[in-house]
Amino acid sequence: MTVLNPTKDTGATSKASPLLYGEPDRLVTDELLAEQLQIDGVNAPFLADLLSAFVTHERCGRHLYRSVAGRTNNSMLKQRYEHFGKETEEHVEILETLITNSGGSPSYSSPMARAVEAQDAKLLESTFLGAGTLDLMTAEMAMLDAVFAAEALDQANWQAMDQICESLPGGPIQEQFRTAVDRVLSQEQEHFEWAHGTRAKLTKLQLESSTLAMAGEKMEEMMAKVRSWFSSD
Amino acid sequence: MNPMEEAGIPVEEQIRNWSELNTQPYDKASVDPYTRTRVILMNGIEVESVMFSHQFARHTDQMELKRALAMNRRVDAQQQKAVNNLNPGDQTPLETTIGYEQVAVDLTSWLARNEKDPMLKQALDFALLEDFDHLYRYANLYDLLDGKDASALTDHLTEITPGRPSAVQHRHPYDEVRGHYDTHTVDPLSRLHVMTIVAAEQQTMNFYMNHGTDWIEPIARGLYGEIAMVEEQHVSHYESLLDPLDTWLRMWVFHEYNEVYLYWSMLQNESDRRIGQLWELHLQMEIGQLHAACDLLRRFEGVDPEEILPVSLPDTPVTFEPNKAYVRDILANQIDLRTDGSAYVPVDQLPSDHRYFGFQRRVNAGGSPMDLVVEENVRRNGGERRDETDGPNPISSLAPHAA
Repeated sequence: MTVLNPTKDTGATSKASPLLYGEPDRLVTDELLAEQLQIDGVNAPFLADLLSAFVTHERCGRHLYRSVAGRTNNSMLKQRYEHFGKETEEHVEILETLITNSGGSPSYSSPMARAVEAQDAKLLESTFLGAGTLDLMTAEMAMLDAVFAAEALDQANWQAMDQICESLPGGPIQEQFRTAVDRVLSQEQEHFEWAHGTRAKLTKLQLESSTLAMAGEKMEEMMAKVRSWFSSD
Repeated sequence: MNPMEEAGIPVEEQIRNWSELNTQPYDKASVDPYTRTRVILMNGIEVESVMFSHQFARHTDQMELKRALAMNRRVDAQQQKAVNNLNPGDQTPLETTIGYEQVAVDLTSWLARNEKDPMLKQALDFALLEDFDHLYRYANLYDLLDGKDASALTDHLTEITPGRPSAVQHRHPYDEVRGHYDTHTVDPLSRLHVMTIVAAEQQTMNFYMNHGTDWIEPIARGLYGEIAMVEEQHVSHYESLLDPLDTWLRMWVFHEYNEVYLYWSMLQNESDRRIGQLWELHLQMEIGQLHAACDLLRRFEGVDPEEILPVSLPDTPVTFEPNKAYVRDILANQIDLRTDGSAYVPVDQLPSDHRYFGFQRRVNAGGSPMDLVVEENVRRNGGERRDETDGPNPISSLAPHAA
């Protein structure tokens, strides 16, 4: 079962730092990470930190997709968000399995993961905290932009995973990384290309329409327009 | 008890009329001192809830969120009135102040005794000695101005004797900033401990910064001003411990969860049946408020509250009880502790040109009202006011001033 929010109950750990407090058994060091991830030829603590950041981004992605799927007014977007959200949760599971099989802990939250989580949290918050003055169409675009930005990083992460495969020594761990990359990278490319393409399509759609999002337009009319996006696709 | 499985009272049904908010005060002569401390603590918790909600509302223009915050905040503000009105009108601000310091001593001690994270425990122990000292200073002011014995209020449950001496409590602001827990690894109880002490210290600061002007006597005004500034230090110190990684919505959920935990805690120990009924009512209200915040967390952040909340409330209720031996032990072992940046260090390890000393020279240049109040009481009444129930102060240099 995937963990979307590591907590003490799920075995969460973090890296010891003078400014990050924790119970001693919750704090890990680079030396301990190196012992856990016994992979020759790579900087194991860095790899542990990186994988923690990658799985964190997928976890945040799952939350983002749940959020936008629940708030979009367009059925096609909703369907895509739900579908990609499920795939993103599978990616969490794949990364958790990889980390575990490599000797690491999927509940380890690295400093890099904290930075990623902070970025992703703000990205998600940007879709609603300041959205009160946005018309429906702009709000939809803001959600799509967040998905686009998240998927851009996601794709880059899995491209980095592809590179990592090449740096790993031959053996079962490398094979597992390769299998994961082969399965996920193409999905990530699809997610990114969809977000990229849909963003372009919506931009064009609004650009060529003289009536969309006009000041004073009635809410029902605007809602109807958002709902009808892609209806001819 | 898992509040997520309890129905609670829906937020929309929680608005009360004016007479319901104008609760009948307790009798100050017969009240259990720890009932008074529970009232003071829960007032501070509600004030923090209201102010957090205002801050959140100032960071969003999302109408659904703003309306939900406004609704919830109105109810919290009503709860604050209902709780704070339990303080009787014949309880003077100084008597209430002594209650505040009894809260600070016995709440901080209890939290520290039950805290698993060594750095969070250290933060609690560190400030404990200063609040303990404040109780002694205010007790002397009470004696000086009113000729009364503060132990009649504390009922000998909390000792009254010097802690870390007043004049050395003033630190440079840079040395008041600590590290923080990690929101992922933190024990659920530790998170609640930190949120509780932040709220309690903040309300203490608020109370002193506003009540210093209740007196004509310069010594009283000076004392409130000086201790209010130490409480400002304490709020800076404690709020540093919170992980800023949590989003606004998660912080809201954690606030509600803490309020559920605390009303449940107060209920477990309340000796006054009538006030216990208020804790029970507010517990049910907070459960409803928690559900409302959780719904918004799900909707806007896509997070299931169960992902971030424990499966049940901690089974240990926050308890007001005597902590005399604990305080004495911390006093004996940590009186000379100071801070250097985020670290705790013995005072003899600070270089003589450390900003700590420069800051003290600046603020203490005209004398410290915390010292003066004791000196004046000795001069006026022939001795200082203490309540050392378990023997002399463990620090020999803190023996009573000679008349």
